[in-house]
Amino acid sequence: MVTVFECEDTLDGIFTAVYDAWASRLGHSAVRLQVRGADTMQLFAVYRSVVADGSKAERVARTIQNRMGGETFEKICQAAMAKDADKADAIYRVLVLGLSRGVSERDAKQVIWQLQDPNVCHVFELSRKVGHEAHRYMGFVRFRELENGVLFSEISSEHHVLSLIGDHFANRFPQENFLIWNRGCGDCLVHRADGVWFIVLDPPSELGKAMQLSEKEEEMQRLWKGFCQSISIRERENRALQRQMLPYRFQKWMTEGLVS
Amino acid sequence: MRIAAGQSLYEKLNILSDAAKYDVACTSSGTDRRGSGQGIGNCIAPGICHSFSADGRCISLLKILFTNECVFDCKYCINRASNDVERAAFTPDEVCTLTMEFYRRNYIEGLFLSSGVLRNPAYTMELLTATLYKLRTEHHFEGYIHVKVIPGAPQELVSRIGFLADRVSINLELPTAESLRLLAPHKTRRRILSPMRQVQTLRSENKQELVQYRSAPRFVPAGQSTQMIIGATPENDYQILSVAESLYQKFELKRVFYSAFVQVTEDPLLPALPGGPPLLREHRLYQADWLLRFYQFQADELLSEQHPNFNVFLDPKCDWALSHLEQFPVEVGSADYRTLLRVPGIGPRSAQRIVRARRMGRLDYETLRKMGVVLKRAVYFITCNGRQMYPLRMDEDFILRNLLGSGDHGRPAETVTYRQLSLFDDLQPERVLQAL
Ligand code: SF4
Repeated sequence: MVTVFECEDTLDGIFTAVYDAWASRLGHSAVRLQVRGADTMQLFAVYRSVVADGSKAERVARTIQNRMGGETFEKICQAAMAKDADKADAIYRVLVLGLSRGVSERDAKQVIWQLQDPNVCHVFELSRKVGHEAHRYMGFVRFRELENGVLFSEISSEHHVLSLIGDHFANRFPQENFLIWNRGCGDCLVHRADGVWFIVLDPPSELGKAMQLSEKEEEMQRLWKGFCQSISIRERENRALQRQMLPYRFQKWMTEGLVS
Repeated sequence: MRIAAGQSLYEKLNILSDAAKYDVACTSSGTDRRGSGQGIGNCIAPGICHSFSADGRCISLLKILFTNECVFDCKYCINRASNDVERAAFTPDEVCTLTMEFYRRNYIEGLFLSSGVLRNPAYTMELLTATLYKLRTEHHFEGYIHVKVIPGAPQELVSRIGFLADRVSINLELPTAESLRLLAPHKTRRRILSPMRQVQTLRSENKQELVQYRSAPRFVPAGQSTQMIIGATPENDYQILSVAESLYQKFELKRVFYSAFVQVTEDPLLPALPGGPPLLREHRLYQADWLLRFYQFQADELLSEQHPNFNVFLDPKCDWALSHLEQFPVEVGSADYRTLLRVPGIGPRSAQRIVRARRMGRLDYETLRKMGVVLKRAVYFITCNGRQMYPLRMDEDFILRNLLGSGDHGRPAETVTYRQLSLFDDLQPERVLQAL
């Protein structure tokens, strides 16, 4: 009978589950990892609930970095941010390939390129998708200025991208107070002008609603919308291409709201 | 000259972005720069697209002219002196306000500032330099700046502005000196190439300096680019691509952009293009340009005097492979990186994956597909473990028919590929992932 280690859907949760499953000594083929909420209950399985534990997660993270290298570690972290029912188990299998006894140091660092293996391939693919979405949001996030000077943004991403774009925006706007509320995943990135940033899970649903826009905000939005129109070349118009590059799920949160 | 009195900022932006849009470059790529923490902004090497306009082009930079007044009279240009259009000019402060306010809201990655020639090239360059100086020193703007060098501007101004901008460009405008003489009487090849050479020289000196003093100011860190107008003059694709190649090799340009001619003014010297701008041709040139930059091809492998234009129906790489069937099929288990790159359906990313994965074990077709190899194109040209995916004839007509039948050639869908090729610029997903 398989033992399913069920964990919370965070990096700490997944790494703690890796730690517990490995330490259980049940054998790799007798365990399965799963994030909570993934709708895949199995009848013939024992479920164990994993409590996320920062120090266990930290140890797993350090082991991956040391043995499998920074490149692999980044890919695994990105894959862990994906919206995907099988990610935790796929990550576990990749770690088994790289961290099992007898794997040479050189091979451990190459495991992430062993794309013939379905789990490696899956992790690789997830990491690529998440990285791609995060990159798009670096461009598609739109801030509006509230009367107290705070920059406020709403997005709705498929994957958990906030932790991946936090450093980028913090470095870009070091002296701003800003919020990026991710309605898609129900979390919110908060950056304070003193340089500290963090992610709030389950922010209050009335967030920012009571706030007025700043005095010049509307004029700036008008200027930007005007620019987006005048910059297009009529003789080359291609709405299908525009929609393909900027799908509706992004547009609907953007100032220029291109939908005609 | 028409200048309406008391234009609002909205009206100016409208006029001066409309006048700037025929310059196709809008990329923000080529340099990594972390913000210092003291100002606002940073740069990441792959560049970032912030929006897409109705023509499907990426909006990355606030692309504007400082003024659309111009004493020159380039026949193809909407801002030419003899054209009757409404004129406007920003002040340096207005450009700064727009850039800062747009940037803070994450509308843009930075500024692309160009200009018509106001009075003379030196005067215009002074204005551009003053604007960038203000932006960098008063507003502490650390985002991306692309600035246009006005042909004929004095050398000292070029060397000054290069320390304020990330990228500079000087447009070649037309592929040959004769065409330039015909359509841009105030510009000469020499006045375009000499600042290009100057920027190249200063960049390489600056690189030396940076080796010694890491904190030395950086000169045009994202390199220089240029643009050629396609279809306004009679040059063939072979001439155009050869010019591009020599710009890459002899002037170390980062990008050459191709701009399908859009007829915006009337002139007996300009061709009539009833079919609209030559977009498919522009697209083929971008594909070929990509082959020069990332696939280690050379212009005269792709075209020749006898075969001077690209095939309308086939992309340049398939076209090349079909006329070199003797070099195929290649075995993906052992072919070197360069050979893999030449297989239709395999790109730099999938070639790299193949090379790394095959050290870890045998490949199969399913794995190749997952690595991003486009099998419907590649099958004719590869073997895997010594076997073709299914028995296929190595026969030009047979393959051609199948490639065309696969529905991704010469159809409107092509423009989509074109976008991915040309506007994502040096966006290498690997780099993006690393940057995160
Ligand atoms: S110099 Fe020529 S291309 Fe540039 S704005 Fe003036 S007329 Fe147009």
